[in-house]
Amino acid sequence: MDFNAIPVQVGLSQPWEKRADGLWLVAPNLDVEKLTAWMIAHQARFVTMTAQAGIGRECRMEYHWDIEGQLLTFVTQTHKGSIASISALCPAADWVEREVHDYFAVNFGGREDIPPLMLRPKDPPGIFSPGGGKKS
Amino acid sequence: MSYRIPIGPYHPALEEPYKIDLVCEGETILEAELKVGFNFRGIEYLAEQRNYIQNITLLERVCGICSNVHTLSFCRAVECLAGIKPPDRAQYIRVVVAELERLHSHILWAGIAAELMGFQTMFMTCFAIREKVMDLLEVISGNRVNYAMNCIGGVNRDICDPESILSGVDALEKEITRIVIPIFTTDRTVQARCAGVGIMTKQQALAWGTVGPTARASGLSQDIRKAAPYAAYDRLDFSVPVENAGDVRARLVVRALEILESCRLLRQALHDLPNGPWRGPDFVEVAVGEAISRIEGPRGEVFYRLTSNGSEIPTRVRIRTPTFANMPAVCLMLQNATLADAPLIQASIDPCYSCTDR
Repeated sequence: MDFNAIPVQVGLSQPWEKRADGLWLVAPNLDVEKLTAWMIAHQARFVTMTAQAGIGRECRMEYHWDIEGQLLTFVTQTHKGSIASISALCPAADWVEREVHDYFAVNFGGREDIPPLMLRPKDPPGIFSPGGGKKS
Repeated sequence: MSYRIPIGPYHPALEEPYKIDLVCEGETILEAELKVGFNFRGIEYLAEQRNYIQNITLLERVCGICSNVHTLSFCRAVECLAGIKPPDRAQYIRVVVAELERLHSHILWAGIAAELMGFQTMFMTCFAIREKVMDLLEVISGNRVNYAMNCIGGVNRDICDPESILSGVDALEKEITRIVIPIFTTDRTVQARCAGVGIMTKQQALAWGTVGPTARASGLSQDIRKAAPYAAYDRLDFSVPVENAGDVRARLVVRALEILESCRLLRQALHDLPNGPWRGPDFVEVAVGEAISRIEGPRGEVFYRLTSNGSEIPTRVRIRTPTFANMPAVCLMLQNATLADAPLIQASIDPCYSCTDR
């Protein structure tokens, strides 16, 4: 696998940052659906997603994939608290998106619904966001 | 006409609290729906309120069975940010504790699987053998469950008498080879109960992101100890058992063979244990940035991702446990299975809800 060719093939011009813990790529306008389709077509395994509270409603989003044992991390961000869902393309992402919604109230566009995973049905999402998790 | 059977969150067929709704037609399961979160403790959030040292104690409690892999993953992520390389002796000791933990986890699971098959004698035998593994862990760490072995940059205790641990491993391996392995790999009752049950294909295993023995029983060969070696694994010789059938029996066989590989790793690590320091530094400065650590736990890949702002408290601790990755695939395995096989199928991934819910 030529890892250097991956960014171009998923529509990115940035090169990898090579770190001890894998390859990282920061792409604020990452098309996560295009990335997912490419990854699945190339037998990659979806490892998980990491969300971290940013400014206001926004979150830093990281998509972690594994190809042939190499960990690839794509860093992007939400826009107005939303990002496209990849769970229709990648079933492994379903629980992760639900969990991220529970913790940071991120909306995943394209999903029919996003039932809570860790929370109970009437709990307000965003419990890990600053000031989050409060009932309105 | 189909009907719905709700099982859990507290039910004798389940090891821990979770809920599974089965839609059946006659004895056949058409659909399964899982609900988790009954053990949710907000550990990721709690870890963002404590310093790095306190977090080792907290994260050891993510799981009561694979507690060591959590502290090892966390310490490795901190070491990556702090630019620390643990001494060689510590790396070998980490392997010894990790493999003993894998042994006791796999033998515990074998016992539970035997009980679910209706093989009560084997359940008692497995738990008696597991006691001996826990005795070895107690000799090394002073503890039977949360070993408190890992610290940032090393380990908290030395292995002073590797010969005595080696003789314990030899005795264990003889017993496992004589009793456990033949029953789980060749016994007719086990084959009849497990072969062709709860099938997950290789493509499904990949699409659902499964890890560890569950994935390797469906033909995916990845083991983080080989793919991205850590501690002293790159200096030790071992094989990664892979089966292609994707059924409960394949999961059983993969774990049984992994028990033997763990014994092999233990013997090498104890025999080759290098002299020298084993403790980490007294003070650690963690740089600003992010770091990821992956470990092959008994149930599969454990993933930790850490963010530091340079202070003594991490700003984000992300934990993805193996059961979190494997459990959604149980719904696949249950489709078209018979209702009586449901407890065995859900147990075949060796689920841990304490880990999943964190």
